[in-house]
Amino acid sequence: MAEDLVLDTAIRDWVLIPLSVVMVLIGVLRYFVSKLMRSSPTPDAKMVKEGQVVIRARNLKAGANFIPPKSFRARRFYFSNEENGLLHVPKDQAQNPQAQMFSDPNMAMDMMKKNLSMIIPQTLTFAWVNFFFSGFVAAKIPFPLTQRFRSMLQNGIDLSTVDVSYLIRPCLRYFLNLFGLRGLFSLILGDENAIDDTQRMMQMGGFGFDASKSLSAEKDGLDIIQHEWALPRFEHRAESVLRKIVQADLVISGAYKTCFKFKMDHYEIVEVID
Amino acid sequence: MVTKTEETELNQLENQVENGGGGVWEYLCLVRKLKVRRSELVLKHGLSILNDPGKRSSLGPDEWTLYEQVAIAAMDCQSLGAAQNCIKVLQKKFPESKRVGKLEALLLEAKGMWEEAEKAYSILLEDNPLDQVIHKRKVAMAKAQGKPSLAIEHLNKYLEVFMADHDAWRELAEIYVSLQMYKQAAFCYEELILSQPTLPLYHLAYAEVLYTIGGQENLIAARKYYASTIDLTGGKSTRALFGICLCGSAIAQLSKGRNKEDKDMAAPELQSLAATALEKEYKQKAPAKLNLLSSALRSLKL
Repeated sequence: MAEDLVLDTAIRDWVLIPLSVVMVLIGVLRYFVSKLMRSSPTPDAKMVKEGQVVIRARNLKAGANFIPPKSFRARRFYFSNEENGLLHVPKDQAQNPQAQMFSDPNMAMDMMKKNLSMIIPQTLTFAWVNFFFSGFVAAKIPFPLTQRFRSMLQNGIDLSTVDVSYLIRPCLRYFLNLFGLRGLFSLILGDENAIDDTQRMMQMGGFGFDASKSLSAEKDGLDIIQHEWALPRFEHRAESVLRKIVQADLVISGAYKTCFKFKMDHYEIVEVID
Repeated sequence: MVTKTEETELNQLENQVENGGGGVWEYLCLVRKLKVRRSELVLKHGLSILNDPGKRSSLGPDEWTLYEQVAIAAMDCQSLGAAQNCIKVLQKKFPESKRVGKLEALLLEAKGMWEEAEKAYSILLEDNPLDQVIHKRKVAMAKAQGKPSLAIEHLNKYLEVFMADHDAWRELAEIYVSLQMYKQAAFCYEELILSQPTLPLYHLAYAEVLYTIGGQENLIAARKYYASTIDLTGGKSTRALFGICLCGSAIAQLSKGRNKEDKDMAAPELQSLAATALEKEYKQKAPAKLNLLSSALRSLKL
C-alpha cells in the first residue's frame, strides 16, 4: 500500500499529547528531586590546587612568547621538574583513578544516588508506555527502510502491508520524545539541567575530572614548546605605528600649505587683471 | 574587567538614579553583578529602599542580598551604625549562617579591632579552608595594619593553592613594588602577562619595573616592552613614549665604553619617532609645556 497514512485525531489526543505531557512532568520532578538529594560538593584542597595548576600551565603555554626566554625556562623547569615539579605525577599514583573513585565513599554514594534517580523513573515510564500505548501508528520515519527492520520497529500490529517507515512500538516513541525534550528542558529549567539523561548515559562509561591524566598532558604540552620571544617584533610594529601617527601630522600640514599657496596665486591673478 | 557596553549602561543608570528617575533596583543589581565599587551611591539609595517598608516588601527574597550589599557599602563609607543595623537584621533572619559570619568579621575589621577580626576569620577558615574571600580579607587586614611582609606571606600561601587568580598576583606585585623588591615584582608581572598578554597595562608595568632594576639587559628588555605597549595602545600611551626615550638614553650611556652593536639592531628610529610623537601630543594637549619637553628631550639625546 503506497498511500500515506494520516494521523488520526484520536491518536493525537489520547496518545501523543499525554505521553509528551507526562514526560515533561516527570523530567521536572526528577530535576527537583535531584536538587534536593544532591549533597553540597566539598571541594578537596588537592583537587582545587591541581585545577589551578592546570590553568596556570595553560596560561604559560599560551603566553610563552611574551616573556623573556630566561623566565620561561625557569617556569618550565618549575612545572616539569622531575623531583618536585608541579605537573609531575609519580608513576604509581597515575594508574588507578577509578579505584580511587570507588574507595572514596562520598563519591561512590553520589554516583549511586545519581544513577538511581535516573534509572528508576526511566524504567517505570518505559514499562507504562509499553503497556498502554501499543497498537497504533506512532510515527513515520522520513527515509525508507528494508523489511528486516520490521520486527524491530513494529511490534504491535501484525499487518505486513504497513510500510516499514511507520513506527508502531511505543518505546521508540518514548525515546524520540526523550531526545527531543532535552531542548525543551534546558529552556524551562535553565542551564543547570541541560545535562539530563542523555549526557549522563554518555558519561556512564568514563567519569569526570581525571586529574593525573590532565596534569601529564599539560606537562607534555609544555615540554614540546619552543620559545620564540615575540617582543623584538613588537619594536618594529611600534615603530610603524608611531611613524603613521607622526606622518599623519606632516600630511595634513603639507596639504594646508598647498591650499594656501593656491589661494595666494588666485589673488595675484585677480590683481593682475584689475 | 568591565566591558565598554556595561560601563556605559552603568553610567547611564547612575545619572538616572542621581537625578531622581527610577531604576534604583536595576542600578544596584548591576553594581552587584559587575562588582564595582560605588559605595556612597549604593549606601544612599539602598538605605532609601530598605527604610521604606513598602518598597522593601516588594523585593521579596532579594531583600537579604540588598541588606548584605548595603552593609558592605556602609562599612566602606565608615558609617558603622548603618552597617551594624543591617547585620543585626541579617543575624536575626539567618542565625547560623557563614555569610553573616563573614559580614560580622568584616565589621570588626572596619572598626579597627584587629585581633578579634583575626580570631573570627580563623574560626571561619576552620570550617571552610578553601574560601577565597576570607583569605583575601586576611591579606587586606595585614596591609591595613601596615605589615606588608605579613601580607606578602599570606598572599604567597594563598597563591600556592589558587595560582590562577590574577587579581592576587597583581596585588602581590604592587606590594613588592612598594617594598622595592623589584625582582619579585617582575616575576608577578610576568605571571600577569602570561594570563592576559593583550592587556597593555601589564606590559607597561613590567617595563617600568625592568627599567627600575637597571642593567644593560634589563634596559633592552624594558625598551621592548615599552614598544609592545605602544603597539597595543596604538601609540596613545604617553608613559610608554617617555619610557622609550629614557631607555634609549640610558642604554646609550651604559654602552658608551663598549661597542654599540646590538643597540641599534632593532628599530633604530624608534627613539626619534617616539620623541616626535611626544612633541605632537604635547602640542595638542598641553602647549604651554612644550618648551619644557623639547629641552628635556634635547638633553636626553646626549
